[in-house]
Amino acid sequence: MKTRSKLFFLCLVSAMMFSMLILTSGGSVLAAETVRIGVMTPLSPPGATLLGKFILQGAEMGVEYVNAKGGVLGGRKIELFVEDDSGTPEKGIAGYRRLVSQKNVSAIIGQVHSSVMIAVGDLSEKLGVPIFSTQASSKTITEKHLMTAFRTHAIDPDRARMWLKFIQEMGYKRIALLAENTDYGLGLVDETKAGAKKLGLKLELKDLIFDKKVVDLTPQLLELKAWKPDLLIDIHSVPTTAYLMVKQAYDIQLFPKAPILASFDWPGRAEFWKNLGDKGNYILFISYYHPNMKLTERGEWFKKEYHKKYGEFPIYAAFNGFGQILILADALEMAKSDKPADLIVALEKGEFKSWNGTVKFDRGEGPYWHQWSPPLMVLQYTETNQSPKDAPILYPPEMKTGSYKAPN
Amino acid sequence: MIDSLLLSQYLIAGIVIGIMYALMAIGITFIYSIMKMINWSMGEFYMMGSYLQYFLVVYFLGANLWFLGIPLSMAVVFVAGMIIQRYLLRPMFVGEMERKDEYATVVTVSLMVFFRNLAVVLAGPNQFAPPDYAGPTHIGPLPVSGNRFVALIGTLVILGLFYLIVKKTWVGKALRGSAQNRVGIQTAGVNVLRVDQIAFGIGVSLAAAAGALLAPIFLVWPENGAIATMKGFEIIVIGGLGSIPGSLLAGLLLGIVESLGSILISPSFRDVYGFILVLGILVVRPTGLFGERQRVA
Repeated sequence: MKTRSKLFFLCLVSAMMFSMLILTSGGSVLAAETVRIGVMTPLSPPGATLLGKFILQGAEMGVEYVNAKGGVLGGRKIELFVEDDSGTPEKGIAGYRRLVSQKNVSAIIGQVHSSVMIAVGDLSEKLGVPIFSTQASSKTITEKHLMTAFRTHAIDPDRARMWLKFIQEMGYKRIALLAENTDYGLGLVDETKAGAKKLGLKLELKDLIFDKKVVDLTPQLLELKAWKPDLLIDIHSVPTTAYLMVKQAYDIQLFPKAPILASFDWPGRAEFWKNLGDKGNYILFISYYHPNMKLTERGEWFKKEYHKKYGEFPIYAAFNGFGQILILADALEMAKSDKPADLIVALEKGEFKSWNGTVKFDRGEGPYWHQWSPPLMVLQYTETNQSPKDAPILYPPEMKTGSYKAPN
Repeated sequence: MIDSLLLSQYLIAGIVIGIMYALMAIGITFIYSIMKMINWSMGEFYMMGSYLQYFLVVYFLGANLWFLGIPLSMAVVFVAGMIIQRYLLRPMFVGEMERKDEYATVVTVSLMVFFRNLAVVLAGPNQFAPPDYAGPTHIGPLPVSGNRFVALIGTLVILGLFYLIVKKTWVGKALRGSAQNRVGIQTAGVNVLRVDQIAFGIGVSLAAAAGALLAPIFLVWPENGAIATMKGFEIIVIGGLGSIPGSLLAGLLLGIVESLGSILISPSFRDVYGFILVLGILVVRPTGLFGERQRVA
């Protein structure tokens, strides 16, 4: 009996001491709890897997950066939870639900495909966890004025306006639009037509819409060759099939006689030259970043450390993944909470230092709601195996470093 | 109105791609005709062939000896196919097994998922392209890449060799006998289990040949076999399951229909034209162009 009393007493004291420990060091126990952020991005086909990979690498380094500087909310570390949306809306919806309901994340970054982001955006409004477009550009995403959708990437109307002004400067008249049948492709075709009308350009526009998964576009390219375009705008969202298109256009002697303008910066990757060799020379492409651009201190840190870690310089997707983690870290500090609702308030109110400047999410008009746009430019490769660093900027005039070079 | 030059260009483009599709389909239909099972992982053997060709050409053989990579890739995949058949598929033919089709489907679908993921783990999601096999050329009025021309000739050579093996060799006789009557051929002293193994090896090596020949055209990446597989299955339905001439003709038909459909109607529905052709053929001839009704004893 005596032994049993002693044992009871011992348990009681232990329980009290444990409770005291929790009560007195509440902060430090809580400090051990991480702040959870989701990365939902395409990591398997038919999505743009490489973009997903770069975004994830950037986000991971963003977490390293924040955690090395002491974390957020009084020393709490950021922890990433990754979901692969494969570039398909159904997987995106399932992934968003998993991140929100099972992983309890405070926010999600990494969206690449407009179709996925549009589908997930509607769901996010119901579940209340903010989602960021890292490289999805359809204007519909932000045009819906969702409280939970944010973007730090160029939107379609701006992109179309950029190439229309470039077309105007170059004096091109016959423009072929080769676009995939997705929100991204169809959206850009519509924006180009509307933009040309708005700018009063007298252009002959011919659009050819193809299925995203088609690997052989030879018949379409033959038709375009017969049409004799001054410029072919390629609107692919997946670089794999875009490489094939350039090869096929070269093989039937359409390109580079007729220049190709890629709708985003996929030619900026190292694999571009490996896959295309000489056939890729003279390509024009839209970019949101040039390696000679001035970056913020955070951007310079990332560029240097990324190179140290991966042996190559980061591309825009990686920068944007990194930048969005930093924006969220600053917003968490500002909100003093990791609750999604508090985070949204902070995101709307604050100004955040990212990799390329100060980011703000205003309640702007139309698609400029929760929208921050990076600079847009038209680059051209003028030599085989040229580094993006040496690719001249052809447009806009204030950034221009070279003129269009036609093939010999 | 399309002028005749453009029309002939579309036709030639369709024929070129159609013959390449046929190589894939012949592998599938060949395995079916012997083993009476569908290999759903055929595209992954195509993918293996393309990766092997890339690594052989880039790291060992060099750009000038690219043609040696094709038989080597075929040989490696042939051996891999024999091993897979021996340990994963043979059990369904030994003893009394119910639901053989389901067994084969589960095994080959699992292989498909496994090999795709293995490729991502080993080589990453990136695309690779071996050096060009040849410079640009012309087929009639159509300017084509040297790679396509080589793939076309290579496909015809491989199909010719395949025909010779099946028609003129002892192994070919055993394969044909096994396709006609699995029980009867055993009375002639043929080991059907060994014939199955060889048939599976030959079938997947044809897919590997397609992958190796098309590597510089359609690039090398973990899912590059998916489209080839889909087209292959469309072709065997059109041509008739188990019919090799049917596969060849159906490949050509599919290539031409896709090429013309995407120009005359809309390129958005390129894959749909193939399925419309499949449905049309099934309505008129449910067994496909050259297929025969199965006789059940």
